[in-house]
Amino acid sequence: MKQGAASNMESGTAIYRHREWRGLRDTAYDFTKWAQLWVILIRWALAHPAQNVKAVLRYRWMFSYLCVPSFFDRLCAGQRGAGLRAARLNLNHMAKDVTDTLTTIFSADGHLHPGSRKAAEKSKRIICFDELLPTLLGKGFPNCETLLFQMYPMFLPSLIQQHSAVHYISQTELYGLPADVCPLPSFEAGLAIEDDYPKIGCCMVTSNMPCDGSIMTSMLQDRRTGLPTQPLNVPLRWKREEVQDYAVAEILSAITFLEEQTGETFDWDAFKAACEVWNEQQRAKFEKWELNRTDLPPHTGASVWLYRVFEHQVACGDPGALKNDRKVNAILQKQVAARKCPKTIRHRAVIWSTPANNYPNFNNWLLDCWGIESVCEMFDIHGTGLIDTSSRESMLYGLADMIETSTMRAHTKGGYEVMLFDLWEKVKEYRADMIVMYDQISCKGVGAINGLFEEGARQRGIPMCRVRQDLLDPTSISRRDMRNDVNLFMQTVMNETPLDPSLVEFDDDESW
Amino acid sequence: MKDLKHIRFYESLLEQADNELVRQAKREGGVAVGYTCYYLPEPLLNCGTAFSVRLRAPNTGSLDISQYYMTSFICGYARALFERAFEGGFNFLDFYASSDTCQQMVRVVENIHELGLIEAPGFSYGIIDAPMKVSEHGKKLYAQQIKSHILEPLRERYGVDIGDESIREAVMEHNELCAIFEEISALRKAENPVITPREFHILCLVSYACPTALILPYLRETLEDLRQRKPDAVNPWRARIVVVGGELDDYAFSEIMENCRCYVAADRYCFGAFPGRQSIPLSADAPALEQVCSFYLETNQCPRFMSQEKIRERRAFVKRLVEEYRADGILYEQAKFCDFWGYERTLAVSVMREEYGIPTLGIDREYVVRGSGQLSTRIQAFMESLEIKKIRRGGERR
Repeated sequence: MKQGAASNMESGTAIYRHREWRGLRDTAYDFTKWAQLWVILIRWALAHPAQNVKAVLRYRWMFSYLCVPSFFDRLCAGQRGAGLRAARLNLNHMAKDVTDTLTTIFSADGHLHPGSRKAAEKSKRIICFDELLPTLLGKGFPNCETLLFQMYPMFLPSLIQQHSAVHYISQTELYGLPADVCPLPSFEAGLAIEDDYPKIGCCMVTSNMPCDGSIMTSMLQDRRTGLPTQPLNVPLRWKREEVQDYAVAEILSAITFLEEQTGETFDWDAFKAACEVWNEQQRAKFEKWELNRTDLPPHTGASVWLYRVFEHQVACGDPGALKNDRKVNAILQKQVAARKCPKTIRHRAVIWSTPANNYPNFNNWLLDCWGIESVCEMFDIHGTGLIDTSSRESMLYGLADMIETSTMRAHTKGGYEVMLFDLWEKVKEYRADMIVMYDQISCKGVGAINGLFEEGARQRGIPMCRVRQDLLDPTSISRRDMRNDVNLFMQTVMNETPLDPSLVEFDDDESW
Repeated sequence: MKDLKHIRFYESLLEQADNELVRQAKREGGVAVGYTCYYLPEPLLNCGTAFSVRLRAPNTGSLDISQYYMTSFICGYARALFERAFEGGFNFLDFYASSDTCQQMVRVVENIHELGLIEAPGFSYGIIDAPMKVSEHGKKLYAQQIKSHILEPLRERYGVDIGDESIREAVMEHNELCAIFEEISALRKAENPVITPREFHILCLVSYACPTALILPYLRETLEDLRQRKPDAVNPWRARIVVVGGELDDYAFSEIMENCRCYVAADRYCFGAFPGRQSIPLSADAPALEQVCSFYLETNQCPRFMSQEKIRERRAFVKRLVEEYRADGILYEQAKFCDFWGYERTLAVSVMREEYGIPTLGIDREYVVRGSGQLSTRIQAFMESLEIKKIRRGGERR
């Protein structure tokens, strides 16, 4: 019989046979938070049972949300001490926020409530944003709810359940789209083709973020939603001073559009208050980064970047998220002050490029199997600015910077320098001794500077392990293929043996 | 039909990027400005002593080096340009004018810069940030970016005159070139035209790949030649189509069309005549730079424009070409791994067929298409389907 973490998993599905034993205190904590998650989910389910059942039956992607407890368990796999506590707090905070939003979406959804006047009225108060456009701008419309349109049917399901994207990508390819495009916009297009977006909102603000594929998929979505749409054109060479006026003009143009569509006037005071909360959220994030620069990095694992994406895009300017940040930071600081490190760390790694949605807990596996601690992750360290709230003008420029440096966008646009040189800086800053480089095969902007990364790492003498992945399509590159890239590198290049040999090879192809 | 007078010469000019006329312009003190995209207004790259060369990588063979630097999932055009630069084929360039419009293309110039691939003394490059929709503030950004990142470096590094007068002169020359093309293009509207698709493609390519001032005299003679030309007694064309798509600089594509007896009545692709070979109206009451930039932004047909009115305009533009050039169908072509045209082709094929009722075929292709049996088979099948539709409508089979 196998020993180690993999012995607790069913072959194929990787379902845990029993809850992970982490020592008495950590197991008790983990169990309590897991029970809290169930309370959140049951409360949500029972609040509008008929509506939620209809949603599960109407939308294929809703099935993914049934896997949330298992998903959270995987994101906390192997975690101990402050890392575990931070992960559970962040994840449960997200669960609460997401369930609330799902209720808002479904109660206004014309698909679930055809002909309902009540739903139509609610829908009029919903502003839809492109999923990579932070909702901070929407805080200026406090009487409306600003939702990231693709976040709930696409982005989150693709993380929760690795197979959720497959059907929609197949539909897009059947429609004629080439299979080489990034699976993320392909999934979005598939949702439009299948008419699987909720029918909500009074208008839509799309954007050119983060990449060429995302720009183009909005064309398909616009046709399906039929909503009045305004593209918010975010400058690409965002480091240039001279493009900032254009960025602000675009935001102002979006505000005018939203005022026309909602009948509301932009509330600068509400917006200012949200910007100030956001600044505090940023400071909390800077503290976390600082803690990870120490010898005893306390805050690593998949939940780190996941929560960062959530906070930057969805919960920006949300006092509840800030409260959670402060709680988490206190726990992390306490562990660092006590000079504790509950895990065995062999390597401090910078994880670069886009993580695979179909394998979000890859970081946990890196640490548990090979002792590779992801002290810094590209997906986590975007957006380092604060918004100057001293005037309307300064807030607009601050918001422009925040949007320009959103998830992925901060590195994939702005010239090759921002992605290439920032990597070498982070290696120094975090005193990393290796790089784990995601090779997202369909990401053309990053692929096209592949050689520069290779040569740069070689010149600097930093071991760089390339991990092939296809973002959210496990049929191209499976989780096992990703692990295998690391296994081979660690065994043949680094000449190392695994910390937990049971995790080197196991079957989780059917895992949800 | 009798061969056009300069057609062999034109073919020889297309054998390499650094062709005879480019070398002549360099010998005469010209500043060679390479570019790849309609977002870089051609006449602005032909101000003063500067001359534009729209970059191609003819006779591309192995792409092994670019595969290492750029992976194999990048469009063939971008990889071929990188490979050619790596081999030293662009060492004649003084300046590379690029735009952050397609990320794969902009990575070419970024790689060239980082790896120091172009060895010409004083070589430099500029990248503009171009808007994806037309607005007043967008026009302002566009003009400002071209001025700061293309024109001013040309003036500072090479002493190129970028003044208003100089721009107006370049536009005049450009307009003369366009007038020739407008007349040649109109010849394609005839039932049995005096110019073949291959010839037109070649003329277009040389007009982009050679210094305007040096290719103009030849094109004038070609126009005269075409005015006198008599078509073949029997109309050889089975059907007429409009070709729509991205970068297409291999005239073998048009040869394949010809071999299938498919007449390309209008070409809406990069390196084609729509847009790109239409005169630019200039008035005296506004700076020429602003007018040229506005013209290029408004007439741009790139699928990266994401506003609804531009998306609708793109389709209406193609429909107009179908009607004006009396085409029977549309061929959407896309270079493999091109994200923009991948989406545009997919949706447009469906929209043009179902909403506009125009027979439409979508294909993807490699950068080098010469000898592509697969392409030929698909075109033949499309020709047959167009013929059948005509017969059903009561028309005659040609």
